[in-house]
Amino acid sequence: MNNNTHISPQQSNRKGFRWLLLSIAVVSVVISGLNTDDNQPEPYPLVYPANFGGRITIPADNPTTREGVALGRMLFYEKKLSADNTLSCGSCHEQKLAFTDGKAFSVGVDKSLTARNSMALVNLLWVRNFFWDGRSPGLEEQAVFPMTNPHEMGQSMEASVRKLQQVPVYGTMFKKAFGTANIDADKIRKALAQFERTLISADSPYDRYLAGTYQPTAQELRGMNLFMEPPAPEKGIRGANCGHCHGGPKTFKELFHNNGLDATPKDSGREAVSNQAEDKGRFRVPTLRNIALTDPYMHDGRFKTLAEVLEHYNEHIQESPTLSSFLRGTSNEKGGKTLLLNQTEKADIIAFLQMLTDKTFINNPAFSDPNKSLKQ
Amino acid sequence: MKKNKNIALLVVTLLISIPFMSLAQQAASISISGEVLTPLTLTKADLANYKSASHKSKDKDGKEHEYKGVALVEVLEKAGVTLGGKLRGENLAKVVLVQAADGYEVVYSLPELDPEFSNNTVLLVAEKDGAPLAAGEGPFRLVAPQDKKQARWIREVRSIKVVFVK
Ligand code: HEC
Ligand code: HEC
Repeated sequence: MNNNTHISPQQSNRKGFRWLLLSIAVVSVVISGLNTDDNQPEPYPLVYPANFGGRITIPADNPTTREGVALGRMLFYEKKLSADNTLSCGSCHEQKLAFTDGKAFSVGVDKSLTARNSMALVNLLWVRNFFWDGRSPGLEEQAVFPMTNPHEMGQSMEASVRKLQQVPVYGTMFKKAFGTANIDADKIRKALAQFERTLISADSPYDRYLAGTYQPTAQELRGMNLFMEPPAPEKGIRGANCGHCHGGPKTFKELFHNNGLDATPKDSGREAVSNQAEDKGRFRVPTLRNIALTDPYMHDGRFKTLAEVLEHYNEHIQESPTLSSFLRGTSNEKGGKTLLLNQTEKADIIAFLQMLTDKTFINNPAFSDPNKSLKQ
Repeated sequence: MKKNKNIALLVVTLLISIPFMSLAQQAASISISGEVLTPLTLTKADLANYKSASHKSKDKDGKEHEYKGVALVEVLEKAGVTLGGKLRGENLAKVVLVQAADGYEVVYSLPELDPEFSNNTVLLVAEKDGAPLAAGEGPFRLVAPQDKKQARWIREVRSIKVVFVK
């Protein structure tokens, strides 16, 4: 949209300078001609591959705009939103780790640990029920939780509003984003949600393979097939059936399952939300995007490596009344109780999982801490 | 005096039980909601109020099973969904969205459930071979005999919602 970027900064002579002024004038005329109201924020284009599907959530009262996203990005990295000015969202959601923090449990302002493992913030546009137990129905609602939870950022929304009011740049930014410099809790949540909606990962080798621009290695291809296929020993088909829960172009389906971590789950998961006994130990199936970067794994960070995860699915599924029926008796041998993949097959699946690492996403300057990139 | 004491005891018992009441597990049920006149919450016992229907079919394991339940359309009629003579005009742009406990979703169109449009019957079942459906499959499941692939034989049905396709 911004035509100014086409003007070369090298135009230093007078004639060039005049041209520059003239073209700026023309561009401004064009822009003001397009915009009926100059103060209207500009829509932020959310670009994603068609195979991701259009089942996305953007509330009617919080359209994604360039100005709103810019503000949301500032707030995401704003430590003043925490009680002792030490934590921002970015502390537990680091871009280089696909917006996780590399810890089993994160440390909050009160130095206590969070109850669950920090989640990757990626392709949230397609998520409908947030958190490991799906208890939050939208990004706007979700954001209040870490900000006010005493074990995370631990500060009331009123206190956050007061602190931001003392920083002049926020007045300007809120005005640009929402048409008023009046800072309130509602606008803080909305801006954060707008920024989070832009965190789209769609350029991993797997995406490129689906787009026909990347040729996987033989090992990656074997891993991909094993990952997607259910085993059918009677037909001689080997598989691990991961795709049943983790498949599709996004490698994310919004499902809730008990994947057999414990015979008696310590954390009841979805049950606490739905109040139904059948949901004991069920958790949201997390995205596998950038999975090689988001260790440790599972809601409690119990596995340090992908090799441990594969061992779990292959050898250590714990039987319980709510164990997913898709993990029960799925085997590569007739009558087998467990998957019974061999070492090569496990390594192949890990090679496929590494295809899900999106370097463009973790290095995208638009997602980084704006204060740090200004200093660079 | 004694009466007062009894009342006091009752109040105390009630107060103590409040937290337990809210914690109590709900009996397994399904909700019928959306574009309906009367939203319903059905338990297994409620199915006895409908005409029973059954279907025999071979499973993946090649064994024959008998599923027993009711015609889904009857439950929708009870909820006041636009069926029969009312299934015309914009009502033809409604779909039945069925969601399972694990979040899995499938849709049926109203005409494919309505006996005035179709000879097929989609069943809402709660029994297999004379026993309640097992955990992971039940307590409720849909059986759509006309579907060659069983992807819409959705297990662990939690909610049925009639919605307009926007
Ligand atoms: C102290 C560490 C910590 C901080 C600070 C933090 N988070 Fe989180 N975040 C977590 C943890 C832990 C979870 C998983 C919690 C759960 O499921 O119960 C999570 C989950 C999320 C999710 C859910 C993702 C999904 O796929 O469902 C979102 C969105 C999120 N955080 C956004 C934010 C935002 C926005 C902020 C700043 C306002 C923030 N977080 C601050 C630790 C943190
Ligand atoms: C029945 C559904 C299901 C199947 C099949 C399944 N998973 Fe999972 N997976 C889950 C659930 C649910 C979780 C989260 C569990 C938790 O933390 O309690 C999970 C978590 C994971 C995680 C950790 C993600 C994170 O961010 O911590 C990895 C990695 C993973 N699965 C890989 C696989 C692989 C590889 C396979 C095939 C061998 C597979 N899964 C098969 C449901 C499934």
